[in-house]
Amino acid sequence: MNTKYKTRFNATSFDSEANVYQTSPQPKPIEEVEVVEEVVVEESVQQAAAPVIDTTPDYVAPVRKKRFRLSLKSKKALSGWLFCLPFVLGIIGIYIPIIYESIKVSFFGEQGTSEVFSFSNYIHVFTETGFSTTIVHAVRDLIIQIPAIVVFSLFMAIILNQKMAGRTFFRAIFFLPVILSTGIIDALDAQMTVADALENAGGGVDTNSGEAAGGLVSALDMQALLSNVNLEIKLGDTTFNLVDTVTLLINNIFNIVSRSGVQMLIFLSGLQSISPSIYESCQMEGATAWETFWKITLPMISPMILVNSIYTVVDLFTAADNRVMQGLLGYGGEFLKNRGYYSAAIWVYILLVLVVIVVITLLLRTVVFYQRRD
Amino acid sequence: MDNTVKVKRETKNKIRVDFERAPLKERLKQKFLSMNFLKKVVFVIFRTVLLIGITYVILFTYITKIFSSIKSVSDFKDATVMLISKNPTHIQYLYILTENHYLKALITTFLVSLSVAFIQTLVCALVAYGLAKFKFKGNSIVFAMVIVTLLIPQEAFKNSIGSFFRQITIFDTTHNPISFVLDLLQDWFQIFGPTGSVESSGFVNSIIPLYILSIFGLGFKNGLFIFMLRQFFKGVPDELEESAFVDGSSTLRTFFSIIIPISVPMLITVFIFAFSWQWTDDFYTGSSFFNAGESTLTFMKDIAVTPPSIQKLIDGETVANAYKVAVTGTASILIALPLIIAYIFLQRRIVEGVERSGIVG
Repeated sequence: MNTKYKTRFNATSFDSEANVYQTSPQPKPIEEVEVVEEVVVEESVQQAAAPVIDTTPDYVAPVRKKRFRLSLKSKKALSGWLFCLPFVLGIIGIYIPIIYESIKVSFFGEQGTSEVFSFSNYIHVFTETGFSTTIVHAVRDLIIQIPAIVVFSLFMAIILNQKMAGRTFFRAIFFLPVILSTGIIDALDAQMTVADALENAGGGVDTNSGEAAGGLVSALDMQALLSNVNLEIKLGDTTFNLVDTVTLLINNIFNIVSRSGVQMLIFLSGLQSISPSIYESCQMEGATAWETFWKITLPMISPMILVNSIYTVVDLFTAADNRVMQGLLGYGGEFLKNRGYYSAAIWVYILLVLVVIVVITLLLRTVVFYQRRD
Repeated sequence: MDNTVKVKRETKNKIRVDFERAPLKERLKQKFLSMNFLKKVVFVIFRTVLLIGITYVILFTYITKIFSSIKSVSDFKDATVMLISKNPTHIQYLYILTENHYLKALITTFLVSLSVAFIQTLVCALVAYGLAKFKFKGNSIVFAMVIVTLLIPQEAFKNSIGSFFRQITIFDTTHNPISFVLDLLQDWFQIFGPTGSVESSGFVNSIIPLYILSIFGLGFKNGLFIFMLRQFFKGVPDELEESAFVDGSSTLRTFFSIIIPISVPMLITVFIFAFSWQWTDDFYTGSSFFNAGESTLTFMKDIAVTPPSIQKLIDGETVANAYKVAVTGTASILIALPLIIAYIFLQRRIVEGVERSGIVG
C-alpha cells in the first residue's frame, strides 16, 4: 500500500503530466486535482524552508516544521500506533501486571505469608491434592474431544452450506448454543448435571433434566453388544478402549454439539470463501463429490482446521464442566481458599495446554495448505 | 430415437413445434429408477434425519427445562410423572420473578451488557483496523499479544485481577482532579454500585473495572473479536482508503465514515457475541472484586438461587434436590429468554457477518 502511494506521488511531483497518465491507466479527474494541489503545497513548503535556513545560519528551524514533514510511511506508522493505543496501554498497564501478580503468587504464596521464592505451592499441588491425576485425565479427554469437535463441526458446516429447505431454521438451531451455552447458563447446566448424577446414584427420582440424550447408548445397549470386541490401542501404559471412547463421545453428543458452534461459523465462512469456479472446473473434469472433497474442500479449508483446533482447545480448557475447572472452582473447594495453590495449579495447566497447542500447531502445519492470492 | 420435428401451429412470430418424445412412462423410469436418483434420495434422507436428530439433541435440554419448570412438588414425588406435569403450577416462575428480583437483574444486565458490548465492539474495531491496515514496527508484537490474551484464559487471573484493582491508590486522595471526575462518574453509576467505594479501597464493589477492561480491549474474549475483525479488515480493498486519503480525509475520519459503514454486518456479529457473552457472564460480575456480598448490584447470575419461599416449601421433603435442580433450570430459562428473543431476530446477521469475513488462519 505504501509503495503504491509512493509511486503515485513520485510520478506527479517529478514527472510530467503525460507520465502520470501512463502510471495510472484510468485517471480520475477529481483525484488528479487533489494530488496536484498537495504537491504544490509540499513544494512551496520546501521552497520556503530552504532559503530561510541558508540566509540566517543561527536561526534553527523549529522542530514543529520537521514533524510536519513526516514521511508518509512514518505518518501511517504513527496512526497505526494510535489505533492500537488502547490495547497497547491496556497490555502494559493492566494485563502484564495482572499476569505477573498471578505468577508471583504461585511462587511466593500469598502476600505476607512467605517472602521466599520457592516451588512449595507447586509441590503441594502435585503431591498432596489429586490434581496430577485430574490434569492427566483432563488432557486425555481433551485429546479425544478435539478431533471429535473439529470433524463434527466441519461435517455440519458442509451440510449447512448446501442448498436445502429449512436451511435458515437449522442454522439458527445449530448456532443457538454459541449464544446460550456460555457463562452462567453453562455453569448452571454443569451444576445440574452433577446434581442429577448424585440423584441417580442415590436411587432417587429421575428428574429428566440435565444431560441430554445421556441414555442413548445404554438404551441401544451398544456397549454390551460390543464389549466382547476388544478394540484397544496401547499407548505406553494407558490403553484406549475404542468401544468405551466411542460410547463416551456419543453420550457426550450434546457437549460436542454445543461446543462446536463457533467452529461451525468459522468453517462456514471458509467454505464460502472457496471460489465456485474451482468446483465448476472439477465437475467439468469429471471428479466425483468424494474426490472433490478430498482434493479441493479439505486443502482449501485446512487453515481453518488449524484455527479451529486451537480455538477448541482454549474453549474446552475454560469450560465450566471441565474436570480441572470443576476441581478449581469450588467443587473441591480446596483451591479457592489458598491463592498460591490456585495460581500454581492454573499455571501448570496453562503450560500443559500451551504444549498441547504447540504440538497441534506443529502437526497441522505440515498439512495446512495456504492458497496464494495475487 | 429419431427426433422428427412436427410443426403444430404457426403464426406470424411464433412457431410451436412438438418433438417426438419417448412415452411418459419411459421418461419417468429413466428419471426415477437410475442409480443417481437413488443416491440422491438416500443422501437427502440421511441428511434430514441427521439434522433433525441433532436439532432434537440441542433442543432437548431446553424442552426438559421448560417442562420441569411447571412441575409442582407433588409431581416430583409421583414416580409415574416423567416429563409432563400432572399438577402444573407457576410458582417457580413467580418466586424467581419476585423474590430473586428478576426485573432488577434484567435492567442492570441489559444496561451493562449494552454499554460494554458497544465499547468492546468499538475498541476492538479500532485496534483490529490498526493491526490490519498499517505497517509499523511492533505490529507483529501487538498481534502476538492479542493471540496471547486469546490463549490465556481469564481464570488464570481470577485472583490477581481483584488485588490489582484494589491496589489502585492514585484515586485515594480526594483533592486530585481524577478523583473528582471519578466521583462524578460514581454518582452517575450509582445504580451500578454503592457510592464512596472509590475512596475506600480502589475499585472494589463497582462496575468500573469492567469498563476499564473493555476500554483497553481486555474484556471477555476480546482477543477473538480483534482477530475476527482484523481478518475482515484485511479483506477490505486498500483503494477505498487510498481514494479517501487523496481526497484529504484523515485516517480516523476514513475509519469512521468509510470503514465502519461497510463493515456493519461484521460489527453486528461481534456486537451480538459481546452482548450475549456479557449477558451470561459470571466471571467478571461474579468476581469478588466488584460484586461482593454487600453490593446492591443484581445481575443475571444472582437469580439462579433457590428463592426462600421455595426453600421453605421443600424443606424436609425427599425430593428437595430434584426440585432444586428444576428451579435452577427455570432460572436458566429466565436468563436465556431475552437472549432467545433477540436471537430469533438477529440470527441471520450472525451467519451473514461471519460468512462475509472470510476468516483465514
